[in-house]
Amino acid sequence: MSDETAASGGPPETSETLGTVSETAPDDPPLVVEGLTKDYGSVLANDDVSFTVDRGEIFGFLGPNGAGKSTTIRLLLGLLKPTAGTARVLGADIRDEAALTAAKGRVGYLPAHLGFDEEATGEAVLDYHGAVKGERRREELLEIFTPPVERPIREYSTGNKRMLGLVQAFMHDPELVIMDEPTSGLDPLKQEGFNEFIRRERDRGTTIFFSSHVLSEVRRVCDRVGILRGGSLVELDRVEALLHRSGKHVRVHADDAAIAALTALDGVVDAEPFSEGTQFIYAGDPNALLDELARHDIRDVEIGEPPIEDVFVHYYGSKEPEQGVSETAVEPGDDSV
Amino acid sequence: MTTVFETARYEGGRRLRGAAILTAGVSAYSGFIVWYFSVLEGIDYEDVFEELPPAMLEAFGIESLSTVEGFLGAQVFNFVWLLGLGLYFAYIGGGAVAGDVESERMDLLLSFPVSRARLLVEKFAALLVPMIAVNAVGGPIIYLFVLAIGESVSIANLFFAHLLSIPYLLVCAAVGFAFSVAVDRASIAERAAVGTVFVLYLVESVIGGADAYDWIQYLSPTQYYEPTPILIEGSYELIDSVILLVAFVGLFILSQALFERRDI
Repeated sequence: MSDETAASGGPPETSETLGTVSETAPDDPPLVVEGLTKDYGSVLANDDVSFTVDRGEIFGFLGPNGAGKSTTIRLLLGLLKPTAGTARVLGADIRDEAALTAAKGRVGYLPAHLGFDEEATGEAVLDYHGAVKGERRREELLEIFTPPVERPIREYSTGNKRMLGLVQAFMHDPELVIMDEPTSGLDPLKQEGFNEFIRRERDRGTTIFFSSHVLSEVRRVCDRVGILRGGSLVELDRVEALLHRSGKHVRVHADDAAIAALTALDGVVDAEPFSEGTQFIYAGDPNALLDELARHDIRDVEIGEPPIEDVFVHYYGSKEPEQGVSETAVEPGDDSV
Repeated sequence: MTTVFETARYEGGRRLRGAAILTAGVSAYSGFIVWYFSVLEGIDYEDVFEELPPAMLEAFGIESLSTVEGFLGAQVFNFVWLLGLGLYFAYIGGGAVAGDVESERMDLLLSFPVSRARLLVEKFAALLVPMIAVNAVGGPIIYLFVLAIGESVSIANLFFAHLLSIPYLLVCAAVGFAFSVAVDRASIAERAAVGTVFVLYLVESVIGGADAYDWIQYLSPTQYYEPTPILIEGSYELIDSVILLVAFVGLFILSQALFERRDI
C-alpha cells in the first residue's frame, strides 16, 4: 500500500496553480520505474527496466518498433501485470490497484491506437471522459487542437482522432501525461504545434512521458531520453549528448574520386556504396563534410536523420537483438563497425 | 464532481437504439401471434398436435394452445423470451467487454480513475437497458394486443411471466459476460456465449426428456423459468428464481475474478 495516495480518492479539482502542487510526497518523482520486467514466456518484452522521470520534464522513451515501449506504458497504467519489478506512478505502486486507480485521476493517457466509440460524436466522447475525470481545460484545448467534435468519430481522419485523444489526455489538467507515439498520424504542421504545446505544458509544471520511434522528434522536445531496445533500457541520456552522438545520414551521387575522398573523412561510418554513389552515417564536423562536398562535382546529395536502428548499431555497438522486431532495420548490418 | 455511474449511463445510452429496435421487433412479432390466434380460433389444437411425439410437445412448451395464455406461452414466451432473448443477451453480453478490448477502447476506459471491478459492474448495468425495455414496454403492448382481439389475460400472470424472465436473462447475459472477459475477440466470445446458451436450451428440452439423463436438465437455466404455467395458472416456484439469481451472482463473481487478473 502506498500511503501517499491512499487518502487521495478521485481526481483533484484544486491544483490550478503553476508548478502543480500535488498530493504525492513532493520529493517522490512522478514516475519511478524499478526493475520492471514483463515476460510473456516466448518474448521478454521488458527486461529489468529502471528509470526515473522528474517533475516538470519531458522524457522521451525512444526505441524501434517492437522494442517494448508500449509494454512499459501498459504496465505503468496497470493494463498489464509485471512479472517482476514495479513502478510508482505519482507515488502509487502499479501493483496496488486501489492506489493506482486513485492516482489515475491525475494522469493523462494517450494510447498509440485510439479506440474511441466510432458511432459517438467527439462531443459525446469528451462529455463522457469529462464526467469521469474532469474537463476544466476542455474549451482551451479545443482551441489548440481542433477535431470536428460535432461529427461522429467514424468520419475522423487519423489526425483528427489523435487531436481528440490529446484533448482528452490533457483536459482534466493532469500532473503527469503518458503518451504512446503521440505524433503518429499528425501532419508536420500539427506536429510542430504539438511540440510547442507540450513545451508550454512542461513550463506550467506538467510532467510528460512519451514514447517514439522517431529520433528527430524526441530530440526536438525532450529534456531527457531513455532508449529501449529488445526490452532493455540501453541508454539514459541528456538530449544534447544524443544529438551529438547520433550523426547524420548522408547519401551522395558523385564520381568515384569524390566518393573516395568523402568516405575518408573523419566521422564517416558504415559507408555503403551503390552504383551511382554511396551512403554513410556522418558524425564528424559538419563544416568538414560541407567543404569536402564543395570540392567535388556532386550530382545529388541528401543529408537527413539516420534511421534509429542505425544509431543503435553505430553507437551502442550491438546488432539487432533477437526480440526486437524492427521494421526500420531491414539490413543485417554485417559490414558494421 | 460526481463520479456516479458515468460509464453505466454512457454505455446504457449506447444501448438505447438497440433496445428500441429489439422492443419494436418483439412487440411486432407478439402482435402477429395474437392476431394469428384470433384467426385460428375455433380449431381444436389438441387434435392438430396429437400426432407429435411428447418430447416435441415438451420442447416447444405446447400445453394448451386453445387459450390465448397457452398460445402466448408457446409462441411468444417459449420461443422469444426463452430462446430468442436468451440468445440475444448471451450475444450482447459476449461482446460487452471483448469488443472494447479488441477495439482498444478498453485502454482508455482503464486509464480512468475507476477500478476494473467497478467498470465491469457498470458495463453489465448497461445491459439492463434492453432487458428492462423489452419487458417493461413489451408486456403492456402484449396486454393491449390481447384486449384488441377481444380476449383477456390475467395482468398478474403476465406481469410475473415478464418479471421472472429477468433472472433467466441475467444468467444468459452473465454467460456471455464470462466469455467476454476471458477472450480478446468479441466474435469469439459472442459465438461461444450463443452456442453455450443454445446447447443448454437443447439439453433441457431434448435430452431432459430421457429418464437416464434427467439430471442433466438441471444444468440449464431454461429449467428454472417456465413461462407457460405462469401465464395459464399463475404458478411458479420461487426457488427457481433464487437458483437463477445465485447462478448469475456466481458467474458475475467469476467474471470479476477473471477480469481482475488478466492483462489487457
